[in-house]
Amino acid sequence: MSASADAFPGGETARAATRGSRRRVKLGAVGRVSTLCAVAAIFLFLLITFILAAFRTRQSMTSANPLSGLSLANLNYDWTQIRGFDSGLFTTWYRNSLIVCGGGTVLSLLSGIPAGYALAKLKFPFRRTVLLVTILTMVTPNTVLVIPLFLEVEKIHALGQLWPVAVIFGFFPFGTYMAYIHFETALPKELIEAARVDGLSELGIFTRVALPVSKQAVAIVGFFSFLASWTNYFLPLVLLPIGNQQTLTVGLQQLITGSQLYDPSGAAGSPVQLYMPQLIFAAVLQTAPLLVIFVIAQRFLARGATVGAVKQ
Amino acid sequence: MNRGREPLSAYLLTSPYLILLAVAGLIPAGYAVVESFEPSSGLGIVGGHGLFANYQRVFTDYRFDSAFLHVGEVLIVWLPIFIVIVVGLALLMHQRPGRLSRSVQFILYLPGALAGIANFVLWLFILDPTVSPIRFLAHGFGETSLDQVAQPSHLPIILAAMLIFLGTGTWIVIVFGGLNNIPDEVLEAATIDGASSWQIAMKVKLPLIRPWIGYLTLVNIAYGFQLFLEPSVMSQVTHGVISPTWSPNELSYTYAYSQLDTGGAAALSVVLLAVTMVIGVVVISRSKLLGEGRS
Repeated sequence: MSASADAFPGGETARAATRGSRRRVKLGAVGRVSTLCAVAAIFLFLLITFILAAFRTRQSMTSANPLSGLSLANLNYDWTQIRGFDSGLFTTWYRNSLIVCGGGTVLSLLSGIPAGYALAKLKFPFRRTVLLVTILTMVTPNTVLVIPLFLEVEKIHALGQLWPVAVIFGFFPFGTYMAYIHFETALPKELIEAARVDGLSELGIFTRVALPVSKQAVAIVGFFSFLASWTNYFLPLVLLPIGNQQTLTVGLQQLITGSQLYDPSGAAGSPVQLYMPQLIFAAVLQTAPLLVIFVIAQRFLARGATVGAVKQ
Repeated sequence: MNRGREPLSAYLLTSPYLILLAVAGLIPAGYAVVESFEPSSGLGIVGGHGLFANYQRVFTDYRFDSAFLHVGEVLIVWLPIFIVIVVGLALLMHQRPGRLSRSVQFILYLPGALAGIANFVLWLFILDPTVSPIRFLAHGFGETSLDQVAQPSHLPIILAAMLIFLGTGTWIVIVFGGLNNIPDEVLEAATIDGASSWQIAMKVKLPLIRPWIGYLTLVNIAYGFQLFLEPSVMSQVTHGVISPTWSPNELSYTYAYSQLDTGGAAALSVVLLAVTMVIGVVVISRSKLLGEGRS
């Protein structure tokens, strides 16, 4: 990403050579570094105090000091409370999330990667129309379709079942578009022509020539697809109305609104104690798989996000 | 060569995707349009008759205007600040994309993993004066409970904070991509002409990344119309201090689930779809997403 600007030291010397502007340059650099550091500090402060709060006790939350009452043992207590909510519903939610998001990701790859290849490398009628609709659905926020999807799924009497959610998650136009960009820019025409000359069928070219050089693109599409479904709230909320069918995002909302903190009277008889540290630990547990992938794959992800922008 | 087989293979390769596109996109959208013209039999349905009965009922619902007004308020508060932050930080990072810029970029990208409900929990922790590490701010305004902080008039600011925290990192990456597209010669020429880095940023880079800023603006305007999670859960934790029909999507959810008014829910969805589709079409026609003019 930074290659072009790293190879650009001329700017520095030219500026420094302009006498009198040296002072301004220094001031500018100080301003630049302090602005970036300040913004990063705010973000880190929010993230770190948030995660640390899971290690605190409910009583210590009365102190504004984000370090008060820290102990590893508190995590164990948090987990007991979370797991105890509605006799272990949390693990059911986790399982449901894994099923619908895993299924959705697999479907999005099986559909999006070949479609992206065909859109990029093959000529066929309505190619541009398919591409146009893909981009239109990509830039349109997907929640505007949730109520229409609800009406559709209700019509076929499939409310409360996991498979419709997985199927809908499997439709991931952004992934198709990313695959399209990938095959168009990274796969030389000559390679395909050569394979044709060698007598490979069009499908053979896709599976034996295009796919093997696209592992990274598949991983990126898979990650973004998983991220989108893992954090989706509105769709599972509407399509999975009953507690033990729900996914983790909707479950978290149940934990929050069923906690002593935000519903003292309703939660009075509850055997578990849910306060801010427990809610935060539940949120951290929900985010954990994504955070791990983020840190491992940050380089690739940044590149993938750029693909979503304007074509180069 | 078997060029004649190309369309057939292409349809084979695209068919799983096209099926999903139909099932999860076109069919529900079409079905919503059909349903929006069907007579509805929900609870307490009053007003409206004829083909446009559902639309009439939705448009005259007092909650309809306020829901769209709320979206407008959020956009006015959130978008200008968001655009300045994203573009400003991207320009600062692009000026010297060294280790500092890369580290800051990664830190700002982290909240992307918190998307949705986890980000909401984070802000609940920050906003609720009984647990917040920055409660002195709320106390400064004389607010000691979440209900006082999360008043309806504060919600646009609160949502702006949530959305900025969530989206800044991702959008910086996108604007940064635009900055990297500027040819080196252009920047070198400006430097040789004696332009300061401030002047280069404002007079060279900024005009050249206008398409990216336009994309950023439009996609996020569309995003504003579909807000659901944040105002909805905020309404629940404040026990109705925030209205449960605060945003258009919450209103159509209420139509579908609480009032069992399928026609009304469908009509409202069609309105929302139309608004966001128009924005989508503008985005596509004004950006280079389709790759016009390539050989």
